Amino acid sequence: MSEHAHPVGYKQYLKTWFWLLVLTLLALGMGYAPLGAGLKAFLLVTVTLAKIVLIAMIFMHLQFEKLNLVMLTFAPLILAIILLAFTFPETRGSATHVLMLR
Amino acid sequence: MDASIAEQQRILASDWGGGKSPFGTSWSKFMMWIFIISDALTFAGFLVAYGFMRSISPEWPDQTQVFDMRLITFMTFALISSSAVMACAVGAARAGDAKAAFKFLVLTIGGGIIFLGCQVYEWSHFIGEGATLTSNPWGVAQFAASFFLITGFHGFHVLSGVFILAVVAIRAAMGKYSADSVENAGLYWHFIDVVWVFVFAFFYLM
Repeated sequence: MSEHAHPVGYKQYLKTWFWLLVLTLLALGMGYAPLGAGLKAFLLVTVTLAKIVLIAMIFMHLQFEKLNLVMLTFAPLILAIILLAFTFPETRGSATHVLMLR
Repeated sequence: MDASIAEQQRILASDWGGGKSPFGTSWSKFMMWIFIISDALTFAGFLVAYGFMRSISPEWPDQTQVFDMRLITFMTFALISSSAVMACAVGAARAGDAKAAFKFLVLTIGGGIIFLGCQVYEWSHFIGEGATLTSNPWGVAQFAASFFLITGFHGFHVLSGVFILAVVAIRAAMGKYSADSVENAGLYWHFIDVVWVFVFAFFYLM
């Protein structure tokens, strides 16, 4: 990508800043709302993903990068989900873990 | 013969044929991305470990009661704002406006220092209430341990970021800056913001 292909996007940065603050307040509201743990987790993950997509695409210029680089940045997220999938079953059903904590 | 030359040129012109950069960036920007991706894996490990400890704990303190959420929200505001200003600094540097880039960089550093100041206050307050790495007054020992580990590791990244940005800003003031170096420092700074978005949601609110 040519480095000068896009003009300085101050207006876009200002808009992104505004939406990031709105999403932050939304997440804060969810933290206090009397929701079930599962629904709360789902909503918080959704808002968090929306925020990181905004930061990565606009602030970190991924919108102007090649698809190869954009795909590369998904690696940590995918690996984290795999790690979570492998470790989470361990937290269920075994009383020994709970005993170790006490 | 002609066919094989044409074939060779076709391969070289493709993304992975060796004729051009598959990622279409300068080497320094690509290295910064590789660093960010590996650093993101470290934080992913921390956050998954935190989730693990939390789900095996019989109870977990209500974070909104333990921490001053007004302070945490203000810290988030400071970091997001400094990230937005950093994006403007990169834009100005790309446009060749060294003066504006310097101004934006100083504002970004200011945001980082405000964030760090709040964190110092938060940590000393938390320690003053009796929290240590191995115990705390709120029951689950892992609560304070994950707090110190995750926010400490993130705070150290912010501190490093402030130093990196200070070097870039001083070089910009001396007229020695390059748009690439401002952009690479900016990528790191935005990454710190991304990590904080995760910490804010999963550690303080969930």
